[in-house]
Amino acid sequence: MNRLILAALAVAGLILPAVRAEDKKFEGPTSGTIKIVSSLPRTGSAKGQTDTIVNGIKLALEEEGNKVGDFKIVYEDLDDATAAAGQWDAQKETSNANQARDDADVMVYIGTYNSGAAKISMPILNKAGILMVSPANTSPSLTKPNFGEKDEPTRYRPSGKVNYFRVVPTDDVQGPVAAHWAKSMKIKSVYVLDDNEVYGKGIADLFRGECEGLKLKVLGQESIDVKAQEFKALMQKIKALKPGLIYFGGTTQTKAGQLAKDMVAAGITAPLMVPDGCYEQSMIESAGADVLNGRCYVTFGGLPPTELAKKGGKGKAFVDAYEKKFGKIPDEAYAVYGYECAKVALEAIRKAGVKNREAIVAAAGKLKKFEGALGTWSFDVNGDTDLKMMSGSKVVDGKFVFEKILEIKD
Amino acid sequence: MSSGVLRKLAGLLVLALVITYPLIPGLNDKIESMLGKKIGDSFPTIFIYGILALALNVVVGYTGLLHLGIAAFFGIGAFTTGILTVGQYPFQFGFLPVLVVSTMAAALLGGILCVPTLRLRGDYLALVTLGFGLITVTALRNLQEITGGMQTLNPIPPPKIPEILRCPLESLGLTMSWTEDYRLFYYLTLGYLLLVFVFLRNLEHSRLGRAWVALREDELAATCMGLNAARLKLLAFTLAAGLAGMAGSLYATKMTNTTEPTRFDFQLSCTILSCLILGGLGNRTGVLLGVFLVAGYDFLFAPAADAWLQRNDMNPNDKGYLKFSMWNLMIFGLALVLMMRFRSSGLLPKRRGTTTGKGA
Amino acid sequence: MTGLTGLVFASADTQFFINICITGLTTGFLYALIALGYTMVYGIVELINFAHGDLFMLGCFFALTLGGAVMALTGSPMATIALMLLATPVFCAFLNMLVDLTVYKALRTAPKLAPLVSAIGVSFVFMNIGLFWGGSQDVNFPGLIEERNLLAEDSGLQFTTTDLLVILVTAPVMIGLTIFVKSTSLGKAMRATAQNPVAAQLMGINVNRVIAATFLIGGALAGIASVIYGLKIKTIGYQMGFQNGLYAFTAAVLGGIGNIPGAVLGAIVIGMVYSLASAYIDARWATAMVFVILITILVFRPTGLLGARTREKV
Repeated sequence: MNRLILAALAVAGLILPAVRAEDKKFEGPTSGTIKIVSSLPRTGSAKGQTDTIVNGIKLALEEEGNKVGDFKIVYEDLDDATAAAGQWDAQKETSNANQARDDADVMVYIGTYNSGAAKISMPILNKAGILMVSPANTSPSLTKPNFGEKDEPTRYRPSGKVNYFRVVPTDDVQGPVAAHWAKSMKIKSVYVLDDNEVYGKGIADLFRGECEGLKLKVLGQESIDVKAQEFKALMQKIKALKPGLIYFGGTTQTKAGQLAKDMVAAGITAPLMVPDGCYEQSMIESAGADVLNGRCYVTFGGLPPTELAKKGGKGKAFVDAYEKKFGKIPDEAYAVYGYECAKVALEAIRKAGVKNREAIVAAAGKLKKFEGALGTWSFDVNGDTDLKMMSGSKVVDGKFVFEKILEIKD
Repeated sequence: MSSGVLRKLAGLLVLALVITYPLIPGLNDKIESMLGKKIGDSFPTIFIYGILALALNVVVGYTGLLHLGIAAFFGIGAFTTGILTVGQYPFQFGFLPVLVVSTMAAALLGGILCVPTLRLRGDYLALVTLGFGLITVTALRNLQEITGGMQTLNPIPPPKIPEILRCPLESLGLTMSWTEDYRLFYYLTLGYLLLVFVFLRNLEHSRLGRAWVALREDELAATCMGLNAARLKLLAFTLAAGLAGMAGSLYATKMTNTTEPTRFDFQLSCTILSCLILGGLGNRTGVLLGVFLVAGYDFLFAPAADAWLQRNDMNPNDKGYLKFSMWNLMIFGLALVLMMRFRSSGLLPKRRGTTTGKGA
Repeated sequence: MTGLTGLVFASADTQFFINICITGLTTGFLYALIALGYTMVYGIVELINFAHGDLFMLGCFFALTLGGAVMALTGSPMATIALMLLATPVFCAFLNMLVDLTVYKALRTAPKLAPLVSAIGVSFVFMNIGLFWGGSQDVNFPGLIEERNLLAEDSGLQFTTTDLLVILVTAPVMIGLTIFVKSTSLGKAMRATAQNPVAAQLMGINVNRVIAATFLIGGALAGIASVIYGLKIKTIGYQMGFQNGLYAFTAAVLGGIGNIPGAVLGAIVIGMVYSLASAYIDARWATAMVFVILITILVFRPTGLLGARTREKV
């Protein structure tokens, strides 16, 4: 009950200022330089994926001639990963967010890639009132109440306003959809692993919850030690339970490849299912194509580039323009989200018309029926996209091959 | 004598520069626009590393024992601060009590660790501290019900500025917002660094400080003179752990989150150790010079140089070896090897006699 | 989640136990190869060679690069493995000796801290080389040996081809090393130097040559370990050296540092502890348990399981 009241209050608190903002006139320069920065893991195995996101951003900016109205748009590509960590790093993400905050020219922050990183930069950027658009965060606890701790997501909005938006469907859709997919493959029992990070543990819990609802037997759930080098003993333990499928909530950077190898080495024949954090070519490289061949299923929010091109419209236009500029169609699936983020940013700047952080955030919040490469969609009150498209792919001969569009059950 | 005066003068000059740097109007902005990179925000972190290095210096520099797990206490300080301040927990204490509790918590753990290691010497002691550091990181990561694990504790609120300080600070042109003005954290951390520096200077000249040096130079002789070696080691370890915990508390407050537990691993301990070796073991000024060189490369030079390369499109294919930040292990490693080989006492060696009295 | 990570009582829990022991044993054999390099060097120059783990890591990258080239040329996995097993030890042995000559040799009479800190420095340099060699992500080491269970699948037991490879390569190497140290004149010189370098020199032993030989042999063993590790674990990365090195060093200390059979025994214990803890307790705490053992041993029995209580050198 208390929770309901709190949630209602939170929603009211979010809507009220937005309603008042309708009438507010923002002031600020109408020409000059506006900076857009992105903060993505540019070091480590996510680099292949983030390369295409950055390409997508660059493409979107170039299409507009790097300007909006009288504003010149400058783009800076920040790295939130360190070589030492091999993935995102809280200190680096903090310093990126601080840098954006302190630079009066920065109006938009495109990022982050990892949901855990978003938790770090969200409160900083919220206080600074900078528009934050993420191409890849999928953890629902970032924006929706009742998914994480009780003070989430208000914890990330110290100013009380919504400045964080994302163009990608969240895991409260993806996790359950994966469970339905497993069920439709006539799988009877699953073993759930996760990497104990915001994204991985979050989606694994959601997957498991749905499995229990679907009467799919959950044989166990366990968090792995991401610093371990091998999981042979763990796999022996799982093998003894004879699961029909192993689900790993995690990313390529948190040892998905090694898990797959040790699964095969232990003689487990059950397939492996992973979420979009592993939907990148480096996952196949790190596990070895033969290990994953025909036994690795992956869910992803949206359509892979090949399907996008088949669908026509702005999606096809994006894939064609990308191919023209970079010589090949996007080899990773998140490119289009990078592109869409940049388009959202440019649209928000155009609507605002002034160089004023508050105005740009307010303009982004009012984006409705946005016609982008992903289709026509709107932001809801939480800053999430109302687009809920999920697709499933399978690894065949060292490539992700599109399998089917996954139905969303409400 | 004259070299001593010169040193003192140089030290005062640097101190004056560090204190006035943010107050000279436009200086930081000018440097930032030259570099094309915000740097003001990095100084507090460097000062915090300075405190951490001074803490490590208590054990390694004064008593000569090798400690390879200082980062663990830094982490304990950070996470204690997180637990006592974030919204998930009912505590939400103010800045000062949190700083004190974090310091005490780390000191207590440092003391407890020390008890079983008292009889070990040399390499074995180093290994135990290393192992302890790894166990701490594992515990911080796995006890996620308490520490948040890899999800970190976030956000940690900035300290409240007491009313009496507001007026003088505002008259210096500082904005009263921790997020908008880097200078608040600059002075907060610098203040604590100076406090620790002066405290350790006085300690060096005290009976305890002299006893540590005696222990380092010759343990057998020192015990024969009636010094209690076990008690002295215990004190050094506890003090170092406490100071590291205090640095950790400042760090978490500055970062507004605890950062992930794996940050406090062996590599950080080793980096801080390199600062000591590079600057001059046992010499406080030398240690700070070492920190400035190592952390300055890590936080100021490498990012600024990389941003410059990116802006000028000098590294279009994003090659690793064309990034300064990818070379830091090589540079620190070579620095350690070369220093040990050719100048094992560091850039600013400790002066003989200064710690044993004012005779020199 | 926590409620589900408890013990697994499969119907065939003995089979399960045996499988875990096999996993632990092969892991232990692998650590033994690395541990021998630590124990021999420590025995003779009293240096914890922090860079040894990273030498092993560079060996892995060397094997990967060499293996890729040979595989492309010959297309024969057997020839590739044979060449890797020959060339990688040579590479590691000479690299290790080179480091000794350029870095440690000048510090023989310096305070103990100096070579130790230098070793940490060398380890940083090696890591940076590894970072440029392989990148900051995990790198796949191609499985040249088909992973196949050699025991009947319905027995419930598992002993795979790579497990066999580990035993086939490491066992002869260790036996050979023991014989070498026991009965050759260089081996005798090594033992003499370990006991008392000054006396050994007075007896006409060329101590510098003995030390160089120790670094060569230790490096070669790390090189063999690199190839085996790559073929068995199949993932390498520039940061792997630290952790593996630490496990191996723990093994050496556990067995009694300076003691060759002790290092092997220690490594097997460590491998077993790690596997059993992963399977029966919680995989996330397995590493911590290895270090708890290390600390306990250091505190209560610094001479290890097989180490003799010798007078401390001052």
